[in-house]
Amino acid sequence: MTEAPAPTYETAVARVEEIIRRLDSGEAGLRETLELVKEGRELVEYCAGELEAVSRGLEELRLEELVARLEGGDSGAGE
Amino acid sequence: MSATEPQPQSAGEGIPDSRFPGPYPVGSYAAQLKRRLGEFTRVQLVGEVWGCRTSRARVYFELRDANGALPCSMWRNEFDQLGVTLVDGLRLVVGGGCDYYPGSASSSPSFSFDVAELRIAGEGDLLVQLERLRRRLAADGLFEPQKLLGRPALPRTIGVVTGERGKARDDVLAGLRRRGWAGRLVWAFAPVQDRHAAPRIAAALRELAAIEEVEVVIVARGGGSLADLFAFCDEALCRTVALLRVPVISSVGHHTDRTLIDDVAAVACSTPTHAAEAAVPIDIGAAQRATLTHARGLQRHASRAVLQRARELAQLSRAPAEHVARHRRRLHQLLREMRASARRSSVGGRELAGVHLRVLGRSAARALSSDAARRRTELERFAFALAAHDPERTLARGYALIQDRAGEPLTSAAAARDAHELSIRFRDDRVAARVREDDGPPV
Repeated sequence: MTEAPAPTYETAVARVEEIIRRLDSGEAGLRETLELVKEGRELVEYCAGELEAVSRGLEELRLEELVARLEGGDSGAGE
Repeated sequence: MSATEPQPQSAGEGIPDSRFPGPYPVGSYAAQLKRRLGEFTRVQLVGEVWGCRTSRARVYFELRDANGALPCSMWRNEFDQLGVTLVDGLRLVVGGGCDYYPGSASSSPSFSFDVAELRIAGEGDLLVQLERLRRRLAADGLFEPQKLLGRPALPRTIGVVTGERGKARDDVLAGLRRRGWAGRLVWAFAPVQDRHAAPRIAAALRELAAIEEVEVVIVARGGGSLADLFAFCDEALCRTVALLRVPVISSVGHHTDRTLIDDVAAVACSTPTHAAEAAVPIDIGAAQRATLTHARGLQRHASRAVLQRARELAQLSRAPAEHVARHRRRLHQLLREMRASARRSSVGGRELAGVHLRVLGRSAARALSSDAARRRTELERFAFALAAHDPERTLARGYALIQDRAGEPLTSAAAARDAHELSIRFRDDRVAARVREDDGPPV
């Protein structure tokens, strides 16, 4: 199995593009194709989640507000 | 004003019980100030030039050293005759005296040192100090650590250090908007000019870096003279930036300015908008479209892989059945034809068969008769050929045939001597003969 956790968005995108290239080549057998598709889908879901996280709407905070929120035990900063 | 000087005329309506004389019209006071300043001794001054700018008639700049500064101005035509270019930090000697423009109802007053003479003395101390500090930071390896930090392609939280009312703030937002980024933005406002700026900026950076969620920090300030940007050349600030755990993207001043924070930062950008774009290196909308394309590509491959192979398997599984079915159809066809043929024979076929038989009989007879005539001709030709080679016909022409007693023809004298007993066959009869010994071959 070539499946590996995607540590960052850019490595996930690079791996998905590699998978697509392999599938486009037509050289992968049935088993490999299904495994690559499975891995690719997981990575695409990860990427979509990352993109969604920075598309929900701009949230502007002053540093003092964020510090106060964190010191108050509000976990909103981390989500 | 001393009591010996001409006093401006009081306009009345002063502050009751005030310990100051007047009130005087401000214009007359300003005119007296101009005259008094003009009485100052005209001197030469030495310092570093900063913020040189020109108008149609005058050239303005500041002359600075470590302890103070003086606004200076010079007539444009006199300045142009010198053929010099004033860059920030250049060390100058200027000669002239104090001048005060009292202004008017529609123009502001201003003070400047009126420069009548000017000489370039060399590179300014501040620039020398700056270059010395730059070399020291480089020697300490402080230009590298920030550049070795990984920068996220998609930061969820971005910190920004800038002036609260500066234009840089709007530029950062414009850059992020251009990327389609809409995550969490943490503003750390700090003064970005004067001697208090550097420690405040450094403190803001440290606080932002202490928050785990902050993945990248932008330090932004709009344009200004190098003197204005000097806070960003502060050694303590630069050392702070160099050792932060988060990458810092700097955008200080115009693209022609190069402050020391630009050297130690992970990335130096020409404008705050570019800094924001560097903080989010990818276009979010384009990335979402690409992700969708990838998802569709994977779906297509998955469907194709399964459906195509399923189709092939189904085809393979159907192949034997189709083979049998094809043969069955052929057999059924043959059976139908046989039955139809049988029906034709049993019903009206007998008469038809009789007709056919008669026709065939006649055809056969014709064929046989023509065949017999052909064969007869051939036989006659063979008989004629055989007769030509018949020995009897040779005998009839007067030749004789010598045979041994067994009737075998003898075709040589040696064979006749060996046989000894001979039979000579003529056309009409045979004659027995014997070979005499003295008839042997001559020796």
